[in-house]
Amino acid sequence: MLNDITMGQYFPGNSLLHRLDPRVKLLVTFVYIIAVFIPQNWTGLAVAVAFLLLCVALSKLPVRLITKTFKPIIPLILLTSILNVFYLDSGNVWWDAGFFKLTDHGVYTAIFIAIRILCLIAGSSLLTYTTTPTALTDGLERLLNPLRALHVPVHELAMMMTIALRFIPTLIEETDKIMAAQKARGADMESGGMMQRIRAFLPVLIPLFVSSFRRAYDLATAMECRCYRGGEGRTRMNRLQMHGRDVATLLFTAVFVAALIVLNIVLPSTL
Amino acid sequence: MILIEADKLRFQYENPDEPPKTVLRDVDLTIERGEFVALLGHNGCGKSTLAKHFNALLLPTGGTLLVEEMNTADEELSIDIRRKVGLVLQNPDNQLVSTVVEEDVAFGPENLGIEPAEIRRRVDDALKMVDMYDYRTHAPHKLSGGQKQRIAIAGVLAMKPDCIVLDEPTAMLDPKGRREVLETVRRLNRENGMTVVMITHYMEEAAAADRVVVMNEGRVWMDGTPREIFSQVEALKDVELDVPQPTELCAELRALGWDLPADVLTAEECVDAIASYLEDRA
Repeated sequence: MLNDITMGQYFPGNSLLHRLDPRVKLLVTFVYIIAVFIPQNWTGLAVAVAFLLLCVALSKLPVRLITKTFKPIIPLILLTSILNVFYLDSGNVWWDAGFFKLTDHGVYTAIFIAIRILCLIAGSSLLTYTTTPTALTDGLERLLNPLRALHVPVHELAMMMTIALRFIPTLIEETDKIMAAQKARGADMESGGMMQRIRAFLPVLIPLFVSSFRRAYDLATAMECRCYRGGEGRTRMNRLQMHGRDVATLLFTAVFVAALIVLNIVLPSTL
Repeated sequence: MILIEADKLRFQYENPDEPPKTVLRDVDLTIERGEFVALLGHNGCGKSTLAKHFNALLLPTGGTLLVEEMNTADEELSIDIRRKVGLVLQNPDNQLVSTVVEEDVAFGPENLGIEPAEIRRRVDDALKMVDMYDYRTHAPHKLSGGQKQRIAIAGVLAMKPDCIVLDEPTAMLDPKGRREVLETVRRLNRENGMTVVMITHYMEEAAAADRVVVMNEGRVWMDGTPREIFSQVEALKDVELDVPQPTELCAELRALGWDLPADVLTAEECVDAIASYLEDRA
């Protein structure tokens, strides 16, 4: 049952997006998340959407993978849309119910913001879909490396992420085992109200917790055996290397952001 | 040539709430380069504690322990000692760090600050030595216990140690995994000249070593070749240890008056001994 959780949501492939340097992908995603908020008119928004569609096409992933990610945020989109429609009463009135005015401005803003949110979600899921968790942590560590000057424990944070990723499947397996053991002794975990189910889960959580501490202790010993001393003086086997495609991607993203800004200046705002 | 030398090694756990608990009492032991030593003893005899002294994870509270003439008590030398003596633990799941096999093997040399090209070479070599090269890009959690334990061994080998110490490496494995690990360890010893110290509960595994050291109550109780040790069935039973099954069978038949040698170790030897005895009798 617990094996259904897809790890890190990575979908293997060999597309251009898969092969890009993780640092570049992280950077572009970060820039894109900000860039989505630049456009103030439909043309600009269309450019932002086009950029995303281009990325989806380059990833060679099935489109339904992307649309699947929209499902959990539909309530959020509905909520913001309703709020926008309710609170914005400037512009041409389409329908007036006294306490509530439906205006073109309100509806357009709602649609505009909904598209922005969808772009955000699709953009960030595209990152995790095309990048292995290891590459992601690796990229993050190297990208944040300058922060070490400010005493941010970058290496330690990345190491924690790596270990967490490594132990997720191990702990899932163990949870399954403990649950089976408790069920064999008559534990009922599938019926009753929420409180009852939570209570039924305690005999699973406690052994899991205890064994996690034992595992952590063992792992610390094993890491010490292998001369681990923190990030100081450490080298890496796989060096990340920027290729032509990475530089091109960065340049293309820069042009994209510039285009959004220019469109804002040249065209009138619709918001 | 002496690799590890313990001289009157003592160790006690200091706990503020309890009286100190002495685990090792005056252990005198030398391990020669190239040896394959099996360390036996029932639970709580101090064998795991001794193993943790070999790579300076624990420091003696009395006596000295020298690893290639480096005193483990000198904390400045800890890293140098750990790269010479690699320790492999019991549970393979709890000693792998990374989600990719080759990155896990690279962890040790990366910590030592070795050049990336050299790390790549060592990782490939280590994986080939344990016969796991084809799995280098796999995720460890999808491998069998024996395969995971071989990855853990490769992780230690990539540091180019002179000696590997294994603390019950087969205790959590199924018979197939146990065989894989034991064969790997034996091959490392024979073909690569690796010094091996293996703690085990399985007498058949100990019988494959060059030398068996039996510990009891924090002391070295017996020390000799497998034949010398296992022929002393009664003495071993006194310290709650078994002997390999063929040895035990012969011992029981001898008790019935059969004229069999006392130093039988393997099933083949046992069969031969019984066959020739029966022939003589007939």
